[in-house]
This record gives sequence, C-alpha cells and structure tokens, in this order.
Amino acid sequence: MAHSIPRPGASRRPAPAVAAPARRGLWQRIAEHRILYLMFLPVIAYYVIFRYWPIVLAWIVAFKDLQLGSGVFSSEWVGFANFRVMFEDPEIVNVLRNTVEISVLRIVVGFFPPIVLAIMFHDLASRRLKKWLQSAVYIPHFFSWVIVYGIVFAFFSTGTGFVNNVLEWLGYARFEFFLSESWFRPLLLGSALWKEIGWSTIIYLAALTTVDPQLYEAATMDGAGPIRRIAAITLPSILPVITFVLCINLGSILFAGGEQILLFYNKAVLDSADVIETWVYREGLSRLQFSIGTAVGVFQSIIGMVFILGSNFLAKKYTGRGIW
Amino acid sequence: MIYKSRSEIIYQTIIHVIVILVALTAVFPLVYVLGMSFTTKAEMIQRNYFVIIPKEPTLEAYKRIMASSVVWHSFLISVFRSTVGPLLALMLTTVGAFVLAQRTLPGRKLFLLFVLATILLNGGMIPTYLVIKQLGLINSAWSMVLPLMVDSFGLLVIKIFIENLPDGLVESAKIDGAGEWSTLTRIVVPLAAPALAAIGLFNLVAHWNSWFDALLYLNDKSLYPMQMVLKNMLTVDSISGDNMNGMLKSTQAVSTETIKMATVVVGLVPILCVYPFLQKHFVKGMYLGAVKG
Repeated sequence: MAHSIPRPGASRRPAPAVAAPARRGLWQRIAEHRILYLMFLPVIAYYVIFRYWPIVLAWIVAFKDLQLGSGVFSSEWVGFANFRVMFEDPEIVNVLRNTVEISVLRIVVGFFPPIVLAIMFHDLASRRLKKWLQSAVYIPHFFSWVIVYGIVFAFFSTGTGFVNNVLEWLGYARFEFFLSESWFRPLLLGSALWKEIGWSTIIYLAALTTVDPQLYEAATMDGAGPIRRIAAITLPSILPVITFVLCINLGSILFAGGEQILLFYNKAVLDSADVIETWVYREGLSRLQFSIGTAVGVFQSIIGMVFILGSNFLAKKYTGRGIW
Repeated sequence: MIYKSRSEIIYQTIIHVIVILVALTAVFPLVYVLGMSFTTKAEMIQRNYFVIIPKEPTLEAYKRIMASSVVWHSFLISVFRSTVGPLLALMLTTVGAFVLAQRTLPGRKLFLLFVLATILLNGGMIPTYLVIKQLGLINSAWSMVLPLMVDSFGLLVIKIFIENLPDGLVESAKIDGAGEWSTLTRIVVPLAAPALAAIGLFNLVAHWNSWFDALLYLNDKSLYPMQMVLKNMLTVDSISGDNMNGMLKSTQAVSTETIKMATVVVGLVPILCVYPFLQKHFVKGMYLGAVKG
C-alpha cells in the first residue's frame, strides 16, 4: 500500500507508486503524512503520561527515600538502600519465595489439563454437543476474580458452604477452609484452573483445526486406535504450540496473581499467601513505604522482563514462533 | 471415524463423560449461586443451607439490593465505566491502529516499538499511583477510565486487521481525494467493524470486572464500582459503610448469605448478556492474536 496523496499544486498525474516515495526527501515524506502524525499525537500523549511516566518515576523513587509530603524530586537519594532492605528483610524474602512458589505452581497446575481437555474436545464425535460444551467451559474466563471469590465462598465457607454441607452430611466436622494454611494454595490454584481451563484450550484447538482430517481417516483405516492416533497425529501437531505456551508461561514467573490473592488471603494464611503484589499494596502503598515498595516493583519488572525475553527467545528457537 | 471398533466406542464414552463433567463443573456453581439467591431464610435453616433449587423461591434478596442506594449507585458507576471506557478506548485505539497500519509512514517501526514496549515494561503499582495522584485523579471516577484509554493488545489486533483489508478500497478513497480522517471514518471503520466490536466487547468485560484500580485510586465509597461493593460484602463481614450494614443484616425473610449471592448474580448478569456476542468473536480474535500477535 503506497499512500502518496496527490498534494494540491502537485501534478495530478498519479506518481509511480513504489519508486517515487523513496526518492523524495525524508522531511518531504514526513510533511506529507502530517495529518497522520497529528492523529497519532493523542495516542503518544496517552503512552507518555500513563505508561512511560510511571516507569521514569519508578526508577527515580526506587533510589530515593520518598516520604509523604515531600515531592518525588525534592526527596533524598539513597542509592541502593531500598534494594538492600529488600534482600535483608526476612518478611520480604519470604514474600519473594512465596511469589516464585505460587507462580511456578500456577504454571505446573495450569499446564496439562487444558492440553488433555483440548484433545478430548478435538476427538469428540458429536459436533453439536461439542459446541454446547465448549460454550459452557469458556464462561468462567469472563468472570471477575471478585465473582470467582464469591463462588468459592458459596462452596467453601464454614457456615453455609456447599462443600461443608456435604462434609457434615457425610458425618464429618465442618472445616474452616479459608483459615487453613494448607488449603489456601489448593483453593487458589483450583479456582484459577476452574476459571481458565476452558479458555486455555482455544490455542490448541485453533492449532488442531489445521490438521488434515484425512490423516485420521487413514490412520483409522490402518487400524490405529484412539490412543495411537493421539500419539501419532494429534500430539505432534500441537507440540510446537505446547512448547510455545510453556515458554510464554515461564515469562510470568514473578507474577503470582496478586489480584486473586488479595481477595482470597487473610491474616491466618498470610505466611504462605503473601506475594509481591499483595505486599506492595499492603505495606508499600497503604503504609506509605513508597520507596521500598517501588524498589520491589522495579525488581519484579526487571526479572519479569528477563524471563519474558528469555522465554520468547526459547520459544523462537524451538518452535519458530515467538510472541513477536 | 467411519469405522467404529470396540476401543473407539469405549474411548468416545470416556471422553464424553469427562468433557461433560468438566462442563458441568463450569456451570454448576452458577446454578447453585442462582438457586441460593432465591431461597428464603426459613428454607435455608430448614434444609441446613443445603439448597440447590429452592422450593418457594423469593425475590426478597433482590428487593433488598434494589432498595440499597449503595448497590444501585455502584451499578451505575460500573455502567459508566463499562460504556464510556470502552468507547473512548475504541476511538483512541482505532486511530492508533490506523496510523500504525500505514506502511509508508516514516517512523512507523519506532512508534510500534514505543507502543509494544509497554507490554513488557511497566512502572508498577506505586509509581502509577503517584502519576494518578499528580494528575489529580485520586477520588475521581476518571481514574478508572483514563489509564485504560489505549489497549495495546487491541491496537495490535486492529492494526493487523486494517493491514489485511483489500488494498484497493483504501487506495481508491485516497485517489478520490479523501483525507486521512475521512478514509478512517468512512472506509476503514465500517470494514473493520467486526474487529472493533470484538475489541470493544473485551474492553467492556475488562471494565465491568475491574476493581483493583478503584481500590487503589478511590477513597470515596460513593464512587465504588459494583465489583468493589461486592468485594467489600464478601470479604468483610461487618462493614462500617452506612447502608451496607443495614442491607446485609439478616432478617426474618432472608439471610445474609442469600443477599451476598444475589449481589454476585447481579454482578454476573451483564457478563452473561454479552457472552453470546463475545463467543461469536473471540475464537477468531484469539486465533489472530495467537498467530500474529
């Protein structure tokens, strides 16, 4: 698409589309596109104000001691002091450990079930039923974490929860799931799996639509059973996508899902539940430890970026496709 | 699967059972929450809170919600942010996508990098809070709208969509002397309508579901969106908020749990309403995003 607009005053004869623009000067081409730049200005303004300015502030505040009342620029520089605190404070070290543990658990728990479900959806013989069931499993993805918490509450609350009702009916005592440290992570990961399992199948199902159905017919004719077909056709066709998804998920290594945890956690389970995002919100923002909170955020964002770039590199190397 | 052997039938049976179970697991909680929201207190106690389908359904919980100005107000705030937010975002995102889809634009690559780098890098919670504060948006409903005014992922999807439009259409508009703006509004927007609708709907859902920004930027409870009110209802048993306390109080007719569940339902219904449209668009959108994004 060559978008050379005949300018008023210029010759009306349409210029040769490909060769001409390259020969004209850069300034002339910029001037020709001035309307487009003007249109883009609000977008740039948005990114500068809401996306880049916070990054700039982050790198300043992380090396300062920002107190309430003093401005970002008038407060004192403290070098790496905030980062030192971060690695020395046992509470923050625990938070970092929890963050890595929970995000690794998320990756592990959320990895295989969608693959298995996608393969089963793919093999489901009744097309009509398949559509209905797919519509059902996608729904929870669109619920907010608050709603998901509400649903988990309806099932696991001590006084009235469904699960506790069943327990009592079976003759067991009611159990305080939300206050149990050993139940916190299973509840967290289980509800996340419930929310996302259906949605996560889409990428695999999309890849499977490109597989030639004749392959399956031929395999069946040759006497291959369902398991054999999965091993010989289905899995190899989605293997690149599986590797891709795994690499991409590795990029979220320090993002343990703070929004969900903020809803699910309480004082009783804090030791095994507190992650970077919840800590930054609670101790950094609410208790006005702006600088340390920012330093932790900067650390998270750097490690996160290294992992995203690294996993994208791996994805490209092994599957030939990356996020970009 | 023309030839049905024994193993074939067994396999089909097993996957049918499992997939149906997974689908039921996805849907059953909704049915349960819905059922509970219609149950009277008497029935709750009589059946020891073990109600799936109430025998004598009551609208009492919903009446209580309707009577509560807190819930009503938050509902309107949510409607505000889920309509104004996506509309503004759609406008700015489409303009951005249109500009970046112009292959002859000098500096296009640089702009693209400028936009996409923000997917990788972000300032984090506290610096973003400080910016919102500097802009004077603390305690303003706009703090929930303005920071989400461009959707980087949506911009990418719309840009790819515009690039894949038949060249001739846009070309001929330009030869006819249409300016950039009228090319965008008269040619590109109508043609890209499906992509725009999909991105708009995703944005709407994101706005409806969002609560963390309200927690960070709003102190004034009267500006809370629905999800925030719901969160406060669910996570704290006794809320100091003036109307909430009275509303959640269990009465003769209806228990606290039932009111909570009814509020969950009210928070869910808009999502379920747009879900059929979402579903129509999202597989395509996701696929596009997954392949090209």
